[in-house]
Amino acid sequence: MIKDILVCLEGSASTEAATRIAIGIARACSAQMAGLAIIDEPDIRAGTPTSIGGASYKHERDEALVADAKKLADDWVALFERRCRSAGVPARSLEIVGRPAESILTEMEAHHLTVIGRDANFRFETEEHDNRTVNAILHKARRPVLLVPETTELELGDTVLVAYDGSNAAKRAITSFAASGIAQGRAVHVATVDDDGVVAREMSERAVAMLRSANVPATAHNIVSELSNIDALFKLARGLGAGLMVMGAFTRGRLRVLFSGSVTRGLVEQTEIPLYLQH
Amino acid sequence: MTYATPAWAVAPFVCYLLLIATLPLFIGAFWEHNLNKLIVAALVSVPVLVYLFGIRTGGGQMLLRTACDYVSFIALLAALFTISGGICLRGSLAGTPGVNGVFLAVGAVLGSLIGTTGASVLLIRPLLRANERRAYTTHIVVFFIFIVSNGAGLLTPLGDPPLFLGFLRGVPFTWTFRLAAPWALVNGVLLALFTIIDRVIAAREKRNPRKAAGISHLPASLQEPLRLDGAINLFWLLGIVVVVFVMGTYGTPLFGDSYIRSLIQVLGMLGCGALSLVSTKREIREANRFNWAPIIEVAVVFIGVFVTMIPALSFLGERGASLGITKPWQFFWASGALSSVLDNAPTYLTFASLAVGVTNSTGASLSVENLGALAFHPSGQHLLEAVSCGAVFMGAITYIGNGPNFIVKAIAEQHHVRMPSFFGYTLWSIAILVPLFGLVSHIFF
Repeated sequence: MIKDILVCLEGSASTEAATRIAIGIARACSAQMAGLAIIDEPDIRAGTPTSIGGASYKHERDEALVADAKKLADDWVALFERRCRSAGVPARSLEIVGRPAESILTEMEAHHLTVIGRDANFRFETEEHDNRTVNAILHKARRPVLLVPETTELELGDTVLVAYDGSNAAKRAITSFAASGIAQGRAVHVATVDDDGVVAREMSERAVAMLRSANVPATAHNIVSELSNIDALFKLARGLGAGLMVMGAFTRGRLRVLFSGSVTRGLVEQTEIPLYLQH
Repeated sequence: MTYATPAWAVAPFVCYLLLIATLPLFIGAFWEHNLNKLIVAALVSVPVLVYLFGIRTGGGQMLLRTACDYVSFIALLAALFTISGGICLRGSLAGTPGVNGVFLAVGAVLGSLIGTTGASVLLIRPLLRANERRAYTTHIVVFFIFIVSNGAGLLTPLGDPPLFLGFLRGVPFTWTFRLAAPWALVNGVLLALFTIIDRVIAAREKRNPRKAAGISHLPASLQEPLRLDGAINLFWLLGIVVVVFVMGTYGTPLFGDSYIRSLIQVLGMLGCGALSLVSTKREIREANRFNWAPIIEVAVVFIGVFVTMIPALSFLGERGASLGITKPWQFFWASGALSSVLDNAPTYLTFASLAVGVTNSTGASLSVENLGALAFHPSGQHLLEAVSCGAVFMGAITYIGNGPNFIVKAIAEQHHVRMPSFFGYTLWSIAILVPLFGLVSHIFF
């Protein structure tokens, strides 16, 4: 059962949704929460070509941006603590000065689940978009990550779709998800996509068996579709009314064709529901 | 044929320019401190000083002459920096395409009067304030750098440091007026292009006001009338123009000796700067965030530039014709290309010296110490025009080509304008400026 949830804080709408979903999970699992705000000072102060006479202006600009990042971090932390207090969830918060991906990867080791807004921009002072941080986390994280898009409903919903490809990452995702407590009270469906219907059926039944052994009843689906893997999964998720999708991220196993890096990336970019990911 | 200047003596100059361009990128924290810059400048100067005092005949005299140029150069920059830092444009403006266009047009003229750095620092904050409610402002700052920080400075020696270096080496004050046509073409085309782009973007913001409030006029109760604080500094600015013009035009008949002339010029310029300091209210300078750090940095970095360039300029003056750059259009593009990645002031002198060498190969006997003769030589003048245009215009191609480029970028980022990266900005300039410079090259050189 999840007892400690890390929420990565910044100013996007998807982080607002992530905080809301994390509070919901914390209440259901009686977990405590930690809010993490990052001041990306290394990127702000990074060396850059400057013209003669420009060094002092760069220094002044760096100081202003660091101060602004600090103020925003303070604001987000204060807002997070207020929301947790009003939801009756025990929470603490921390501000870290450092590179976002490294800081989050280090901190998430101490938590059962990390919740991140899908469009979170932790390098907001220097970049318009920050795909780099979320990508690095999904590639390197050893703990599960819940990636929450802006379009997420108010709550996770009653139905969960597990996308399974038989890889080690997918197995780890199922194991950690079953142990998390999030499955409790929710209908769980397992989907596999394969050109060979027999292989797909066997794979989905193995996943269902794994979940059942962890006391999570599940229903198997094997998808045979002319649609792309991504579209087929989204179609099934919509059909089932799923509010959460569980999957292994960026797998390197023999069935990587299904959930290879590009499929994971596609799902991450296009999903309208939260993704529970394990690398 | 034997030459007075060995090729190795140029190495410190090349090395130093490369260090100036790359050290901020790789060891930015080290480069931030002026003492470290001074150490680097001193280190690269050592071999040149050994060469001048130990090997080169008359090396001490060359160094003394260069030292005078250096003092005059820094005195002008410091005086303009002080005076422009005492002027503050206040008031509420709405960032419409019309207002933005007027801002840039004013900057295009002002740049030649108070220098591109002064005009940039004076105008960029009011322009950013006027546009702070707009969603897309990057293009405004990019065009500001193109026009106000660079193209504007072509008309007088006060406009851009390279031209003042030319002036210090004898190019008459009014000589740059002949560059009015390329100045008008470049700034006119850029202004027209900016107005079109800004109108398109403003119209798009109006249709999709998702990210910001867009162009909007403040309620009358909140509007602050437009006013110029520290207007007394315009008088001191005029003083600088008079000092530079009079000393450049009548200095020799009045005072004869070049050292005395330089001394009076320096005292005149610093005097205007000092008068600006005592006559300007503190809050105006605070509003401009005025401090001495930038000018100290310039003074420190240019010590190394001035020392190491002595043998380099001499080398180019001796062998100019043999280097294969002989036509005005070649001078325009070559001086411009180098100005875009190195500071344009030393680049100007480098190519002006090369132009002296090329002109001498046709039978003339010009000196790199006196560019005034080059400025009126039948063929040499075209080379100097090309070098002036190349160095001034193409300083806009990267953030490091000209001093104010990076300053404007840094100030804009402080105001949360998302500026392009080094390479992103260079793409803007390659797409817009390079075709325009092609036109300039075709028409004028």
